[in-house]
Amino acid sequence: MTDTKTWARVKSPWVLHFNSGACNGCDIEIVALLTPKYDVERFGVKLEPSPRHADVLLVTGCVTQQCAERLKRVYDQMPQPKFVVAIGACACSGGVFEGNYNVLGGVDKVIPVTAYIPGCPPRPEAILDGVVKLLNALNPPKPKKEPKQAKQPELPKEEAKPEVAKPEAAITQTAQQVVEEVKPIVKQ
Amino acid sequence: MSNNKIDILSIVASKLGSKVEIQPGHLSTGTIIAQNGLHRDVLKAMIDADEKTGITAITGLDLGATIGVYYHVHTSNAFVTIKAEVPKENPKIQTIVDLHPGAVFHELEVADLLGVVFEGHPTPGHFVLSENWPIGVYPLRKDVKPQEVKLVPTPASEEIKLPENERLVKIIIGPQHPALLEPEKFAVTVDGEIVTKVEPRIGYVHRGIEKATESRTYLQDVYLVERICGICNSIHAAGFVECVEKIAKTEVPERARYLRVIALELNRLHSHLLTLGHAGLEIGYETLFQYFWRDREPIMDLIELTSGNRVYSSLMTVGGVRRDIKETDIPKIKSTLKTLRGQLPFYRQIYQNEPSIKLRMVNVGVLKREDALKLSVVGPVARGSGVDIDVRKDEPYEAYGEIPFKEIVYKEGDTWARMNVRMDEVEESINIIEYAVDHLPSGPFRINTARSVPAGEAVNRVEAPRGELFYYVRSNGTDMPDRVKVRTPTFANIPSFLKTAIGESIADVPANFVSLDPCFSCTDR
Repeated sequence: MTDTKTWARVKSPWVLHFNSGACNGCDIEIVALLTPKYDVERFGVKLEPSPRHADVLLVTGCVTQQCAERLKRVYDQMPQPKFVVAIGACACSGGVFEGNYNVLGGVDKVIPVTAYIPGCPPRPEAILDGVVKLLNALNPPKPKKEPKQAKQPELPKEEAKPEVAKPEAAITQTAQQVVEEVKPIVKQ
Repeated sequence: MSNNKIDILSIVASKLGSKVEIQPGHLSTGTIIAQNGLHRDVLKAMIDADEKTGITAITGLDLGATIGVYYHVHTSNAFVTIKAEVPKENPKIQTIVDLHPGAVFHELEVADLLGVVFEGHPTPGHFVLSENWPIGVYPLRKDVKPQEVKLVPTPASEEIKLPENERLVKIIIGPQHPALLEPEKFAVTVDGEIVTKVEPRIGYVHRGIEKATESRTYLQDVYLVERICGICNSIHAAGFVECVEKIAKTEVPERARYLRVIALELNRLHSHLLTLGHAGLEIGYETLFQYFWRDREPIMDLIELTSGNRVYSSLMTVGGVRRDIKETDIPKIKSTLKTLRGQLPFYRQIYQNEPSIKLRMVNVGVLKREDALKLSVVGPVARGSGVDIDVRKDEPYEAYGEIPFKEIVYKEGDTWARMNVRMDEVEESINIIEYAVDHLPSGPFRINTARSVPAGEAVNRVEAPRGELFYYVRSNGTDMPDRVKVRTPTFANIPSFLKTAIGESIADVPANFVSLDPCFSCTDR
């Protein structure tokens, strides 16, 4: 079941684009991604107008005062599991607009961010790379051969505790766990 | 132009005499200092004398004890600044909206950012800043420090006032909407399918760039003003550096002027192709969108080839350009442009004759010539309504005076005409670039300039892809500007949409709207 869900998520992530105060530079590069030269749809990525159907939220631009609550609302409307990708220097940290009177800062001031794609604006290739990295992080390619592990020196065994049946353990990981797993990989 | 002979300054002098102080030659054609409500009389005299008189921008600036309200007025052959001042304690001034309806947004902006009260304004209220902005804090005043403003995010659920008439329905478009790439809100009231009212709310992308320029050096500001708009960024940088060069009286080398023209026209090319494609998307003609964007990519490659980056070229700098074009790159530029030129007959045929385009665009959003003049619209929107304004022709900057090109004007005034103006301008841009590449003068492409700029002020107008872009820079002798004012073309064009959408079907709103080529990151700054 977990495999099926992961497969479905990885093969057709629907993305929602939200401009929280961007200059159009990143936005146009996102649109360029959909057009023949870059054609992100070959990875199953589809631009989706409604937050309720989206898996990934692409945010561009520093968060302005007027947009902050809107951004949070759009994020709340998305179903679990959801991922947020901050595209461009402004979305990552506020960029050149950091410290201006109407600017709160980067996207992570308002909602949790899964992946950061820096650049002003990032090239379409960079956005594509970020998206593919995010997808790979959801479904890490299995190593072909397990490297042989050196034999651990045996430690004195603890006393075996009586095992309690944990039905929750069988349930697929929660979205929060997925986010936690993805974070270190994508941040590299 | 028929009325090239009007000498607007002497007309004002003969009508108002010694009541106003006239400084010919200062800030383009001249400056008129009109205190105590006389600004209205000056403007009225100018409107009576010349039908093309319109408000380009209203600059508000903190002058210490007073607040300056500068009306930048264009006529058919002149550009005049009317200067008025109001005391800081009681900043009240008479509105000019009744004389010239195009000033309505300009006044709202000055009121929001500097706290000037325009008496008699039809729709006072917040326009750029949010509804719960701290009362009494006017960000462009010098005593307000950006870091000290306490921000409270605007509540997402606002109270929506329903129309009193039960037949009417209010449709809110935005801030997050599939048809808008940018967050802006338009409340459209419809009676059945017919639009009866459009109320815009901008400011969602307001980043306070004008204030931010005051705390950065001129060199840093070039990069900052570029980031007002990701589409027409070169023209923003050019508008700013030309202003600084005017104050510092810097002579730009001949080669740099041509290189700037090449960069600006490449920018126009990619912007027009983008819009022509986007219009296809908005009317449900997605194939056209994909075609145009496919052919736009080679232009992006050319921008990267000549400047080093796809979007933000950062080519302009005070005293010239930062990069020269290599001799070995010229064949590539020419061959790319030749390929694009080969595609144009196909696209022109689509935009001129294709039935689905004609059904969705002809007679949609008709803006009559008189209305275009009254609302001071600019760029392709004005030229689509038969108003022949193009700063490249009217007040040539850089090397435009030496390069032959046609000014495209259509008389129809509808969405179709506006898009066809852009279609034809694509070819003119190709001509301009080819001419500039062939006639590229030799010599240096940049001269070194001092970091500080002498005290003074300058205005500058340039033709952005979306229309006339206006810059006002005031220097206080240091290496940071005292005030930078930007009036972007979309800001001037939005009133025309509010007018033309009324009485049309709600289904025509997207096509009509995209024909303005709206750019809200420009509008809000």
